Amino acid sequence: FVPRRGGTCESWEPADTAAVPFLPPNAGSWIPSLVPQDILCRGIVHGKSRAGKSGAVLDFTRQLSHFFVDHPEDAFGSLGQLLHKNFYLGNSKLRRPARESTIRMTALMEDIDRLEATRGCPRQRLSSRLRWFSHLCRDWLFEVPLGLLADCVHEELLLQWASLLFDDSPTGGALAWLPPEDTGARMGRLVYPRGQAMNHLCILPSEVSWGGKRSFVALALTGTPDFQDVVLEELPHTRGSPAQFELNGRIRQVAAARVDGEDIIGVRSDYHCGVWKVPARMGAAPTPLQVICTSVPASCLTVSPHLPGELAVCTQSGAVYLWSIETGLQQLRHDPQTMFFRDHSPWRWSDFTAHPRVLSCADRTGLQCLDSRAPERCHFDLFKVGEEAGCQQGERVVLPMYLGRAHPSQHLVTTQFSVYVMDERLPLVPVLKWAHMMKAPPIFAHLTPAGPGRSHKVLLGASRTQEMLLLQYRGEKQGGSQSACQLAGPPQKLHSITTCLQHLPTQLPHRHRLLQQRLGVPAAGLAAALQEDGLQESLLVFQLSEAGDVFCQRLTHRAAQAPAPTSGDEPAAAPGSSSLFEALARSPPGLGNKEEEEEEEEEQTFYFPAAALRYRRWLKALSRHCRVTPRQAWPPTLSQNRLFTRKELETPVGPRALHQQARQQLRQAMREGGRIQNWDAPAPQPPALPQPLQPVGRPDPLSARLTAAWSGDWGQWWEERTSFSVAQRQRALRERRRRQKRARGRRSLSASFTSSLTYQSELSELSDTAPLPCSPGRPAAVLPREASPAGGSPPASPAPEEPLLSSQSLRCRGIPKERRKTLRDYLAVWAEDPPEPPELPGSQLSQLCIPSSQSQLSSASQPRRKRPRMGF
Amino acid sequence: SSHEHKLNFKKSKEVCLSYIQDAMLHKQWKRAAEFLTFYIESLEKDYSREYMGPSEIIWRIGTEILCHHSQSSMKEFNSFIEQMKTLGVKRFLKVCLEHTFHLLCNGLIDEAYQNLSLAESWRYGEQTAIQDKEMKLIQAYRGLLDYYSWSKQKNILLEHGQDGFEDLSVEQEMHSCFRKATVNLKEITKIPGVWDQFVKCYVDLLEFYGDHNEARQVLNEYAYNSKFPANPNAHVYLYQFLKRHGESKKSLISALKILHDVAPSHELMIDFNTMLQKSKKRKKRRLGLEVIFAALDYAGWKENVKAWSCLARQVKQIVISEKHLDWIKVEWNSRKDWWPAFHFSRYLAKRNWQENESLSYEKALVAGILLGKDCKYFKYVSHQGCKAQVKRFRILKKFVNKRNPVYLRISG
Repeated sequence: FVPRRGGTCESWEPADTAAVPFLPPNAGSWIPSLVPQDILCRGIVHGKSRAGKSGAVLDFTRQLSHFFVDHPEDAFGSLGQLLHKNFYLGNSKLRRPARESTIRMTALMEDIDRLEATRGCPRQRLSSRLRWFSHLCRDWLFEVPLGLLADCVHEELLLQWASLLFDDSPTGGALAWLPPEDTGARMGRLVYPRGQAMNHLCILPSEVSWGGKRSFVALALTGTPDFQDVVLEELPHTRGSPAQFELNGRIRQVAAARVDGEDIIGVRSDYHCGVWKVPARMGAAPTPLQVICTSVPASCLTVSPHLPGELAVCTQSGAVYLWSIETGLQQLRHDPQTMFFRDHSPWRWSDFTAHPRVLSCADRTGLQCLDSRAPERCHFDLFKVGEEAGCQQGERVVLPMYLGRAHPSQHLVTTQFSVYVMDERLPLVPVLKWAHMMKAPPIFAHLTPAGPGRSHKVLLGASRTQEMLLLQYRGEKQGGSQSACQLAGPPQKLHSITTCLQHLPTQLPHRHRLLQQRLGVPAAGLAAALQEDGLQESLLVFQLSEAGDVFCQRLTHRAAQAPAPTSGDEPAAAPGSSSLFEALARSPPGLGNKEEEEEEEEEQTFYFPAAALRYRRWLKALSRHCRVTPRQAWPPTLSQNRLFTRKELETPVGPRALHQQARQQLRQAMREGGRIQNWDAPAPQPPALPQPLQPVGRPDPLSARLTAAWSGDWGQWWEERTSFSVAQRQRALRERRRRQKRARGRRSLSASFTSSLTYQSELSELSDTAPLPCSPGRPAAVLPREASPAGGSPPASPAPEEPLLSSQSLRCRGIPKERRKTLRDYLAVWAEDPPEPPELPGSQLSQLCIPSSQSQLSSASQPRRKRPRMGF
Repeated sequence: SSHEHKLNFKKSKEVCLSYIQDAMLHKQWKRAAEFLTFYIESLEKDYSREYMGPSEIIWRIGTEILCHHSQSSMKEFNSFIEQMKTLGVKRFLKVCLEHTFHLLCNGLIDEAYQNLSLAESWRYGEQTAIQDKEMKLIQAYRGLLDYYSWSKQKNILLEHGQDGFEDLSVEQEMHSCFRKATVNLKEITKIPGVWDQFVKCYVDLLEFYGDHNEARQVLNEYAYNSKFPANPNAHVYLYQFLKRHGESKKSLISALKILHDVAPSHELMIDFNTMLQKSKKRKKRRLGLEVIFAALDYAGWKENVKAWSCLARQVKQIVISEKHLDWIKVEWNSRKDWWPAFHFSRYLAKRNWQENESLSYEKALVAGILLGKDCKYFKYVSHQGCKAQVKRFRILKKFVNKRNPVYLRISG
């Protein structure tokens, strides 16, 4: 009985703690890819990207203006011809009859120039003439109808959004490793895209030196007792310069296969596919063979492992072609619909099978095999998203791959949830299924076949998250039963490019962010090379990012018999001991990780000098590239000569003498090279201090406290606040309620004798008193002084109670004589009750709906304590 | 705020899960186990309606960790699984089955058997279709274990039988095992699916007790019922069964014919070809040629000496007799545009010569007949062969040179 999972696997351990840059950083200004924020909230990002110069800018207006400038014939051609009579290009003034129907363009041009000059100035203002012109012509001058354009833009945005969610164009990966002819050799070739637009195909002979210079470093770290030897391998390096081919499109996919000792490389960009031939012998130059051009973007290009010069091409229109260098293209199928059920994705894929004339052909719903000799008649279903394979709802095929090098009739099918191994002879029922749990669908896969009795290694890679998984499975070649296929051991996660960020030397924050962005771009491909050197084997894994950087890491194979104390539980990467790990487990995860990182960092810089050197070199080269790029981000400049017209400069606006003096001072200062300290001459009226903000509500305790704290007597405030007991507060509340009730009762009465005079005085009182209790703008130190009647600001009117008490003032308010007495008595009662604010004006004020400022006083502790001192 | 709380909870759950996953993918089982203990809290408020809920995740992750953790023991594993069984009722049978597999992997067959019988007696609510299927599967595995103990006892008896020793109790036990196994295995073979293992055991049991009709019926059903997925193994089993029982050539050929249609690249095609070549009938010999050509189309057969010698023999026969050259012509017509590059390139000539001389001999013969004496493959191999003074290569060269007109007729 053998289970499908489990079993022993070969142990492949990373030799380094992180991926190491393999090539110098991709030259040319790197165009940052779109992020969701670019589409979702443009306004914010717009500002941010200006400032930080990072992220793609979807400045549609600018793009359109570029289009107008670059293709004026297309944009305005016919209308320009129609209207050319009505545009006058001369400099002189227009005569009357002509002025009716003609515009003088020179004036318009001047306005535009002026606009150009003030570009970026936040206060720029369109001249009325320009505004008028654009208002008039906007709808018809531009020949492409705006509605149509808007539709197109909308469509494009949708496309961009879809590709942000899941971009399937790099499916298959744009990195390929061409192994050396004999496995013992240390040379191989790497095929990768380069250049600003990733449109340079590079075929690089790279020497993978191995072994030879091995050094053993034993160290003892404090706190890690059972530390073991660290084996250092020399890193692979490149030799010679790559053969470069410039293509006119971004390279999406590089596919390679070896047939008859020659490597055939297929390169796919959106509208072109090309084939190169690379002789296996080192140093032989690659030769381009053929290029095809498609009208619809191609979605797949695979190279036949059986016959030289045969490739399979799929386009997004649903067509599948067999492309032979000798005989040309043969269409096998053209079906815009998906095979098994309806799916909107135009993605198609095709690969070869065990029979050289039979091609597998895939869309998101499954795989079918087609016989190219009779594509309509002979086909069978190989994989179907559905019940047979035990698929989940919404599961879709992401990448099929022919595993011919491991087993002639097996295929790998990845979906966003699982990985399947299918056998052609037993279609529809997967031989192996495993849920990979990757965060993004794996669109890259690489197979490293192994000899009999050993496990085949499959690398799965995701684009957006840069994840890489190493799977091992075993399937007997030419084996009898299907159950021989089993997954060997647990999967293993490999380092992604981003993880090396923590091993790079510390950077300035903005550089760090830039680096983070650069290293975090989606992956664009992966490749692996198996190196054998005597007993020791190692697997070199290359990863390509969309920015064009290639990183590599090495996994070394530990033979089963070798004593491997760390192979079980310890992370192979960080040779920390178990004690370190226990400590880790106890500490919170975030902290633990940091600790680990620090550990690794230390080790990195200490134990892997070659890697550290490489990091440093890479970084240096990157910063050299980056220094050139941010040139566009100049701060906006103002051209002076367009700021003022000559006329404006000629006539001084203010009094002559003043200007003369100012000019003199200016000249002097310029001569001395100093500054103008003060314009002491008839100082212009200092601008009135902005009025402190009127508090809308009552001052909240926090601001009161802050005010107090600012003035320094915070302690006193606190005392006051605490001493102001609950009982007092309750009483105050009760009192206020009573007062309000009273006020309500008196409203009808007071209405009878209100006069315009009272209104005014009350208003003036209000305006004076209101800012008193709490003026956040004013320094708080003023407050206590103001409380004493002697001090205070001169313009402030006397405190409200004083005039109220004198009969004269009462008379002034139009209060009849007989009532003055009661009023005074009433107020006297008030005076005995210190914490109670004078409420009489309030009673009348309440009609004016301003009890707010008064009631504020009642609750805020500070003014209330002051009142009695003030009034009585 | 409860919504916020829920959201935060969900977020931290996800973070925790990703930590576990990361640790597992780096083979840090201890660390993963630590995180799993935190993750168990997520069971508390399991609002998820996802495909895989936390309890299932815990089950799967926990099993995986316990399988690899250096300090885990079988006892711990069992207790964990018992807890998992109570955690999700709907998954009970699945967990049981996984548990059984784990026990079997560790050689604990009796415990596994017990576990299966326990699962079989389990009842919960109404049985759904999935549960029904899972139950069948459990029964089938129990049947498989019954078969295992049956064959063990059979071996004991056979060994002892040679000594002239008879043990009635062992024999009785064996028969009871047989009865149990057949009942269970019969059930599963009725459901469409790929049941290679079960079918093989079932047939073995039936054959031992001489119930050939039943066995044949089962195999026929398994191979020809259209409800079952197309499975070349079914035809292989049927063929092997027929061969064991000395069935007529005709029925053997018809069984293999279907296998040829299903999987033209199966290893049995060589047997099929030799069988057909020996046949008296022209039609069958022609089919033999078709079969071997079709088999050699596949990349997996590229270096199969046996297949090439079969083809070489038949082609040579035809050429010598000069009859039925049109057969070759028909076969060759559909292949002449790609076989030369696929099989007879100069590169392959070199490699085959270096790696496998007899393969290159057979291939060179075929190439010489099909492509004439100027073919690169033939030229290279015969040249090398003559240089190495190997006799058969010289004869080969002579033969092909003499028969060159045949090539013209084939290609013409």
